[in-house]
Amino acid sequence: MIPVAVLTGFLGSGKTTLLGHLLRHPDFARTAVIINEFGEVGLDHDLVEASEESFIELQTGCLCCAVRGDLALTLEDLLRRRDAGTVTPFERVAIETSGLADPAPILHTLMSDAGLARRLALAGVVATVDTINGLATLERYPQSVKQVALADRLILTKGDLAQGQGADLTARLAALNPTAKRLQASFGAVDPAHLFDVGHPASLRAHDLPAWLGLDGHDAPAAGHHPQISCFAILRDAPVKAVALTLFLEALAEHCGADLLRLKGILNIAENPDRPAVIHGVQHVFHPPVWLDRWPSRDRRSRLVCIGRDIQQVWLEALIHAIEAEVAEVAAVGA
Amino acid sequence: MSGDLDAAVQALLEHSLRAWRVDGKIHREVDGTLLIAAANKCVRVARAPAGLPFRWAVADGERRRGATSVTGILRHVRTALDSSYRSVRLRIAPLPPTP
Repeated sequence: MIPVAVLTGFLGSGKTTLLGHLLRHPDFARTAVIINEFGEVGLDHDLVEASEESFIELQTGCLCCAVRGDLALTLEDLLRRRDAGTVTPFERVAIETSGLADPAPILHTLMSDAGLARRLALAGVVATVDTINGLATLERYPQSVKQVALADRLILTKGDLAQGQGADLTARLAALNPTAKRLQASFGAVDPAHLFDVGHPASLRAHDLPAWLGLDGHDAPAAGHHPQISCFAILRDAPVKAVALTLFLEALAEHCGADLLRLKGILNIAENPDRPAVIHGVQHVFHPPVWLDRWPSRDRRSRLVCIGRDIQQVWLEALIHAIEAEVAEVAAVGA
Repeated sequence: MSGDLDAAVQALLEHSLRAWRVDGKIHREVDGTLLIAAANKCVRVARAPAGLPFRWAVADGERRRGATSVTGILRHVRTALDSSYRSVRLRIAPLPPTP
């Protein structure tokens, strides 16, 4: 499988600088980069220079607004050319979205296109945030809020110019997405591993899970609430029946849809209690559960972390409680 | 309705009205039927009669629908009360995200 990283971030937040640095890094060799630029005349691709073994594809138009098939076609074409030996046999793909893009449709394409999924795997979403202007951008542009909320990793840029302005921004980022690890990049310098090793479920080891959930040593995310975006955890002491989980996820997708920015969790499934199931979804699209070999600790409670827009924790709690009550009643009748 | 499930469904519907920003009240009748008065409508949620292939009956005026689970109740009630509601179907990605 070829890992695909999505690099997002608002206009001017330093994506291209970061990419320019990465493309000169030896560990980033053999990377196919797709740069999506908004507008008919793009510039970003002229600002980055690939090494001999990496190369850049350019797409114009906003990936999230234009036909999503464009991305799928570009990726299919890349794979065809790789197979034919007409391009470098790239080992990873990086997609730089336009600064105005909503990353969710891009993730949906990567997650749900059966043809692509046979060869490409979403490795993670990295969002750049400008330390100087990031706070104001988050206040004014909902796209930037969504970019942050959907990220697995946040890279704070321009910290060298910020002169101590970062504390409020850090607090805001923690409120929006406490599960994403935050890193600093100086002049775009960041380890390439941070783009492709973001800890997606299939590559997680058991002891990574609490940090991936943002619940390292806690029962709830550490952050407070953004006016529209909230992040909270739901805990279940008893194992959850598989059918209850299915009904719960269906109802979440059905009633929250685009407002469910992200749901990830580790679950004790009653039918397979010795192996935790890791789930991960963006809006209404979910990866199949990944079954880990063992629990990371003696804590075998199910833990779900939800990042959503105008989603109430109490509603989710009531939903899962009602579903579990019905599943229990059906089981009791059938016994 | 059995006690646990009865209370859980009522609580879920009460929280759902708030989540959907629909003003309304829910009243439980002696036989356990839930009456939801909201959006100038009265929606009834009750156990389906025995022998039918669904567990619940949801009535919106003359319109009666069956629901096989709590999530079906939610779908029917929201469709009746929230005119802006458009259902979204869950999609599961075809393969695990294995780098």
